[in-house]
Order: sequence, then structure tokens, then C-alpha cells
Amino acid sequence: MPTYTDMTRCDGCGECVDICPSDIMHIDPVYRRSYNVEPNFCWECYSCVKYCPQHAIDVRGYADFAPLGHKVRVRRDVDKGVIAWKIRYRDGREKAFSFPIRTTAWGSIRPPADYAPPGRHELDSPLLAHEPEALNIAALPSLSTPNEKV
Amino acid sequence: MFSTNPFAAVIDVVPAGLVQSFVVLMAFAVAIGTVLDVYHKGSGRYFAQRRARAKAAARRPMNAMRKATAVVKGLAEASVSGEFCKWNRRLSHLLMMYGFILYVIATVMLVFALPEAAAPGPWVALWDLGALMILAGGAWFFFFLRVNVAYDGDSRFHVGRADLFVLLLMGSALLGLLWHGVQALSASAGLNLTLFGIYLFFTALLFLSVPWSKFSHMFYKPAVAVQRKLEEASGASDLPDPTPRRRTRS
Repeated sequence: MPTYTDMTRCDGCGECVDICPSDIMHIDPVYRRSYNVEPNFCWECYSCVKYCPQHAIDVRGYADFAPLGHKVRVRRDVDKGVIAWKIRYRDGREKAFSFPIRTTAWGSIRPPADYAPPGRHELDSPLLAHEPEALNIAALPSLSTPNEKV
Repeated sequence: MFSTNPFAAVIDVVPAGLVQSFVVLMAFAVAIGTVLDVYHKGSGRYFAQRRARAKAAARRPMNAMRKATAVVKGLAEASVSGEFCKWNRRLSHLLMMYGFILYVIATVMLVFALPEAAAPGPWVALWDLGALMILAGGAWFFFFLRVNVAYDGDSRFHVGRADLFVLLLMGSALLGLLWHGVQALSASAGLNLTLFGIYLFFTALLFLSVPWSKFSHMFYKPAVAVQRKLEEASGASDLPDPTPRRRTRS
């Protein structure tokens, strides 16, 4: 069920290109709108559909197993911290769902680029970068070594 | 520089009617080019289909007042490029859009209403200001904001068909300013006419290339904004309401 872009809604901002984990959302060289360059490789993660600020991307169901005329639309509201889905069946019935996206405020989590780069000596450490302080704990639990056994 | 009509020197040599006819021809070229663009891209058919679908899915009756409100909201959104989600893309487009509108209106005024050399009023300054706004917004967009440059890793100097419109627009504005500046420096009539010829060539290309360039997107965008507002007002929008709900509805 590959994604496709409604070219009249797309403003060519490139957010879908940036977020697509398969790197298959590209920019059309003629109209400078996004499009799916390799529909077979789209695994319908819906990342671009959710992230598109213009709601210009939709997912097309294959006719052999997805009923014609159905629709699955999604809208992410960052301010409310909610993601809403609307499912429309081919007979016209609709179902709507809303879910909270997260429990912390949008933008409150520091991205990795905001942290200082780790020094070379930290390559020898079993800890990941900025652990344990980035996890908001004093220390990670560890197994005792054989020498410490009593 | 701001008090001398740049077209007056040409009108001294070429009949004013010829210059005015060129402006009218370019307006026709835009109209015909847009119709051809709508036809070959199937945009007209797409808009008609979408309108029919929205009418069938409407949940609320649309009286004239509701329709008018939705149309005004759509046009208001388009007038401030409200569809853009990033401020820098929005600002660069606004500079280009209002610069171009200013440039066209001032050209019409200078060619039709005030063809004498010492044009009264602010039109000469507005013509220059419009061209400068186009250049500022266009260069910002071209070198820093083009999505294939920002996300696809293309060079800042990469040129494709999608750039035809912005490059011709900037070319027309830049050559117009250059021509006007050279006139202000009291250059020879030969140099003046040569620069005018180059300016005219690029300006004609801008308006004649409408079927192949993105020129007509300045007409599509308000149409899409109005259609979206009409769909929202009639309840035909297929987008869900992000208001939290606990129960499903069928």
C-alpha cells in the first residue's frame, strides 16, 4: 500500500523526504513536489503521512485486498499532543480514533545534537553517550565482577 | 534614478502603442499558457472531481453566506501564503509574490498612464522596489530554500526545469534594474536599447514559458485554499478531528 502525494496540497517543504525511513520520498525535478520514487519499497509506516504539515500524503490500498473506496486518514496535532485517525469504509461508515502521542511537552526532549560530543576516552566505556545523566539516574545497574564475590 | 521612467527612453524611439501592445500580448500569453497548463496537467479535471466528491460527502448545507465566508478565508490564507509551514519559505514567497505584483502594476502604470520621462508619483520607485523584492526573495529561495538543495543534497547551483520560473523571474527583475541603472548613468542610446532588448527577451520568456514553468502555481494555490476551506465548512473534509475521544463512532 504505497504512499502518494496530492500535488495540489503539497507545498514542497521536504519534511517527508527528511523523515522517510526508506528514503523513497523524493522531490519531483519538474514540479518540485514530493513523490514516492519506489512504491514497492514502501512499508506503510505512515511517518510521512503523519508528519506532512499539509496533509498532502495518503496511502493507496492495493485493489486486490484493500476494498475500493476506503480511506484511512490521520492528523497529528502537536499542540494537543494527540493523533487522530479516521477510517472510512467503502459503504460510507466511518470510525474515528484519537490517541495521546506522548506524556511530555513537545520539544521538551533534547535532541542528540544538543549534547556535547563524547570524548575519545569514552570509546572504552561500556556506557552509551551521556549515560547515565541523560537517563536521569545516578548510575546504571551493573553485575558484580568475580573478584567482588564474597 | 527613482524619478525617471525607464520606458520613456524607449517610447522616444519606438511608438508607445508598440510597447503597450507588448504588455497586452504578455497578459494574453499568461492567460493562454495557464489554460494549456490546466489542460495538459489535468488540473481542471482534478478540481472538478474533487468538487463533486466534496459535494457528495458534505454534512452541512452550504448557503451563500457560508460559501462566501469560506472563499474569503481561502483567499486570505493565500494572500499571506498561509499554506507554508516554514516561516523562511513563506517569507521568501511573499517577497516574490508582492514584489511581482508591484512590478507588474508599476509597469502597467509607467507604460500606459505615465509614458513621459519624468513620471510623477511613486511608480518608478515602486517598479524598482518590486524588482528588488523579487531578487531578494528569489535569491533566498534559490540558494538556500529549494527543497532539492536542502533535502536531496543537490548543489546550490543545480538548475532543473522546476527552476525555470524563479530564474526567469529573477532574470527579468535583475535586467530591468540594470537597464534602469545604466539609464540613470546617462549611458549611450545604443547601450540603453541593447540592454532593453535583453530585458525584453527574458521578460517575454517569463510570460511565454507558462505552460512549461511553475508560473501558474500562483493561480492554483488560491484555488486549492478556497477549495479546502469550502470542504472544511461543509464537513466534507476527509481529515479527522484531533479532539480527543474515548469511544469509537460508527
